Amino acid sequence: MDLSIEVEEGTIFGLVGPNGSGKTTTLKLLLGLIYPTAGTGTVFDLPLGSPEYKRRIGFLPEGPYFYDHLNAVELLAFYGGLFGMSGAALHERIEQLLHMVGMWDRREIRVRNYSRGMLQRIGLAQALINDPDLIFLDEPTAGLDPPAQMEMRRLMVDLRNQGKTVFLCSHLLKDMEPICDSVAILARGVVRRQGSIRELLGGESGRFRLRVAGGNGLSLESLRDRSLDLKIEGEEITMLFANQQQALAAAQEIANNGGTILELGAQTRSLEDVFIEAVAAGGEE
Amino acid sequence: MQAIYRVAVATFHEAWRRRFLNAILVFAVLIIGSSWTLTYLQPGAELKLLIDIGLGSIRFFGMLIAVFLGVRLISDEIEKRTIHTILTKPVTRAQFLLGKFFGSLATVLSNIALMGIAFYVVFAYKGSKFMAQGSSEASASGTPGISTDFIYANIAKAIGLSFVEMTVLTAVSVMASTLFSWIIAAIFSFFVYFVGQAADFFKSLANPARGTGFGGQLVFNFIYGIIPHFEVFDMREAIIKGTYVGWDTLGMHVGLGLVYATLIMLVAFLAFMNREV
Amino acid sequence: MKKQRGLQVIGWLVVVMLVVGLQPLSNAVNYRRLVLGMKSPTPLTKMVDFDPTAVTGVIMGAALGGFQGVAASMLWMKMEELWDSGKGTWLECLNVMRTVTLLDPHWLEPWRITGWHLAYNLYVETKDPKLQAIYLAKGLDALKEGISWNPNTHELYLELAWTYFDRVRDYENATKWFRATLQFPHPEFVERMIAHAYERLPDLDRALDWYDYCLKRNPEDGTAKGATTTIRLRYLPAWRLMQAGKYDEAIRAIDRYLEVEPNGTIALHVKAHIYEQAGREREALDVWRLAARLSALDHQARRKANELAAKLGVTLLPSEQAPSYFLEQMEQPRRLEVPRRRER
Repeated sequence: MDLSIEVEEGTIFGLVGPNGSGKTTTLKLLLGLIYPTAGTGTVFDLPLGSPEYKRRIGFLPEGPYFYDHLNAVELLAFYGGLFGMSGAALHERIEQLLHMVGMWDRREIRVRNYSRGMLQRIGLAQALINDPDLIFLDEPTAGLDPPAQMEMRRLMVDLRNQGKTVFLCSHLLKDMEPICDSVAILARGVVRRQGSIRELLGGESGRFRLRVAGGNGLSLESLRDRSLDLKIEGEEITMLFANQQQALAAAQEIANNGGTILELGAQTRSLEDVFIEAVAAGGEE
Repeated sequence: MQAIYRVAVATFHEAWRRRFLNAILVFAVLIIGSSWTLTYLQPGAELKLLIDIGLGSIRFFGMLIAVFLGVRLISDEIEKRTIHTILTKPVTRAQFLLGKFFGSLATVLSNIALMGIAFYVVFAYKGSKFMAQGSSEASASGTPGISTDFIYANIAKAIGLSFVEMTVLTAVSVMASTLFSWIIAAIFSFFVYFVGQAADFFKSLANPARGTGFGGQLVFNFIYGIIPHFEVFDMREAIIKGTYVGWDTLGMHVGLGLVYATLIMLVAFLAFMNREV
Repeated sequence: MKKQRGLQVIGWLVVVMLVVGLQPLSNAVNYRRLVLGMKSPTPLTKMVDFDPTAVTGVIMGAALGGFQGVAASMLWMKMEELWDSGKGTWLECLNVMRTVTLLDPHWLEPWRITGWHLAYNLYVETKDPKLQAIYLAKGLDALKEGISWNPNTHELYLELAWTYFDRVRDYENATKWFRATLQFPHPEFVERMIAHAYERLPDLDRALDWYDYCLKRNPEDGTAKGATTTIRLRYLPAWRLMQAGKYDEAIRAIDRYLEVEPNGTIALHVKAHIYEQAGREREALDVWRLAARLSALDHQARRKANELAAKLGVTLLPSEQAPSYFLEQMEQPRRLEVPRRRER
C-alpha cells in the first residue's frame, strides 16, 4: 500500500473513499491504534503512537461510545485527567468546551441518556480537551439531522480558523465539498486523486447547461444535433452545449416558442463526479 | 502513573455501579449471615461450620466477582470501542491494561473486605458462644471440635490470603479478557481456578507409582508447573488445627501470589500489545 | 515494527524465566505448609487403590471451595433420612458416609458413625465370620483414618478405644487408645475405662493404680470405689500369690471365688493368666476355652484359646475356632498404607 498524503497545516483535509478502501485502516495507523507491518510514520516529526504525538492530537470516532454512567463534566474530567490536567484549569477548559459544543445546559445528564447529536457534541468536546493542533474526525456528520450537520460543519470551520488542522474522514461527499480545503480520494488502498478542491473540480469546463420546460414547435432533432447531450425527464429537457453562444441561441429559440427557461449556466463538476471517476479508473487498473 | 490511576479510578467506579456484582455481594453477605442459624447442621462442630461457611463464601463469591469483573474488562472496551478515545490520548497500552487491572482489583478487594467484616461479626458473636462451651471438659458435643488457638489471628490471615488469591485470579481473568471473548474468558478463568485448587491432585496423578504412563506424567507435570496453585492460599487446616502461622510464612505466600500475578499480567500485556482494537 | 518484535521476544523470555524461577518458591511454600501442617492432603493420597469416590470427593471439594462442610451436612441429613425410613441398605448408607468423610474430613461425627456402623451394624448383619472379621477391621481402620485427619481432639481416640474394648475385646489396644485420649480435654470416665480394661486384661496392679487415681481425683467416685473393693476381695489375693510364685495357692484362691460365681469372666481370665504364668499352658487353654464357651462375646478368651491351641498343637472344636484371618486381622494392627510422597 503506497499512501502519500499531503496535508497543509491550518486547513480542513478530507479523506474520502468507498467502504473497504482503507480509510479506517489509514486513520487507525495515523492515530497509533494499530501498528504498521513494515515501515514507520511520523507526524510533527514525532513517531506515530508516541505519547508526545498523542498530546497534540484529538480524535472523534465514528458513532462514539463513552462510559455511560458519567455525565458530560465527569467524562471530560476523566479525559482531561489523562493529559495530566486537573483543578481549576481543567474545570475552566471543560466549561469552555461545553459552551462551545452547546452542551452546557445539559451537562448533568448521564451519557446513557444522550441522543445521537449529543454524543457527537460531547465527542467533539473530548477530542478538543487538550487543545490539539491536529484533530481527526471520523464521519462527524453521519446520523445527524440537517441542523446538527450544519452546526458540526460550522464548528469545523471555526477550528480551521483558529489555526488547527482538521483531518476529516467521510463518505458523505456533499458535506465535505463545502468545507474541505483539500481532499484525497482513496480506493483499494491507493490514493487515486489528491489536491485542493479547486484543482479537483477543475474550474470551469467551458460547457453550458440548459434546462427548459414546455415549448411547442420545437424540433427535438435539431436540438439534439446542436447539443452535446440531451435528456428528457417528463416535461423538462436538459441539454449540454459546447459553449455559451450555442446555449444562448437555443435558449432564445425555446423562449420564442413559449417554453420556460429553468436553468442556464456554466457546467462545473461536483466532488461526486470526481470521486466516481477516480474509483472507476482505479477499478480498471 | 497519572494515566494508570485515572483509568483505575474510572474502572473502579464503573464496576461498583454494576448491579450484577452488587447482587453477588449482597447474596454473599446474606449467606455469611445465615451461618448464624445454620450451626445446628453439625452439632459438635459448630465453629468449624461457621468458618467453613464464612471463609468458603468469601472465596467462592470473591471468585465470582473476580472472574465476571475481569473477563469483561478488555473485551468490553474493544467491543464498545470506548477504548479508541482512550488509547488516542497519551496512554500506552501497558498503562491502560494496568489501570484496568488495578481498578478491578480494588473492586474485588473492597468486596472481600466487606464480606470479611460480615464474617468477623458473625464469628465474634456466634463463635464465642461455642468457644466458651468448649473450654470445659464436658461431654462429646460440648467441645467445639477444633482447636481455638490463634483462631482470630488465623481467620484474619486467612482473609488476607483470600485477597492474594483473588489478586491472582483477577490477573487470570484480565489476561483471558485480552485473549478471548468474555464467555470463553470466563470459562477459561473458572477452569484455571478449579484446576489450580486441585494442583496437588494433578501432582499425585503424575506419580509413576500410580501406574501413569510417561505421556500422562508429562501432561500432569506440565499442568502442575503451569497452573497457579490456588490451593496454597487455603488456611483452613491451620485454623482447624490451631497452628501458629508466622509473618514469614505469610510473607512467603504473599510473595508467591505476587509473582503469579506479575507473570500473568506480563502474559496479558504481551497478548494485548499487538491486538487490533 | 522491529522494536515491537524485539520487545515481544524479550517479554516471552521473561515469562519463561519467571515460570521456571517460580518453581523453587512454590516448592518452598509447599514445604513450609507441609511442615506446619497447613496442607490438607487430598483423600486420594491416603488411599492405596484408585477410588472413584475419592476422586469425586476431591473434585467436589475443589469445586465447592469451602462449602464442603455444608455439602457434607446436607448429604449426611439425606443419609439419616435413608436410614430412618429403612429404605437404604446398610451398604448404601456406608457409601454415603464415605463420601461425607471425604468431603469434610474434619467433621468428627461421620467418622464415629462410620466406624460404629461397620463394627456393629454391618457386623451383625452377616453370619459369615469372614465378613464379620472384615467389617470389624474396616471399622477400626475408618476410626484410625479419622484420627489421622483429626489428631488433636479426643473424640475419635475415645471411639476407637471403646470399639477395641467393647467389640473386639482387645484390652491391650483398648488401654493404649484410652490413654491416647488423655492428651486432650476428655470426659472424666476415660480414666475409669482404662482401669476396667486393665482389670480384664488382666493386669490387676495397673487396674488398681488407675482406680486409685480416680478416687484421688474424686473421693466420691462410686464405680472406682466399688471396683477397688471388688478387686481386693475377689481377685487380689490370688494375684498376689501368683506374683509370689505360689501358683497352686493362687489357683485355689481364685477357685474359691469361682465356686460362688462360676461364670465370672474376670475371674476366669485371672485363673487362665495364673496358669500361663505358671507355665501350665494346657490348663490355661482349658480355662480360656471354658470362658469362650460361657460367653459368646468373650473374643479375648477365644483368641487366647486359639493362640494356645496352635502353640500346643491341640485341635479345637469347629465352634471354638476363630478363623485364622480373624486372628491375623485382630492380632496384627492393620497398617493403613500411604504411598510415600517425594517431599524434601
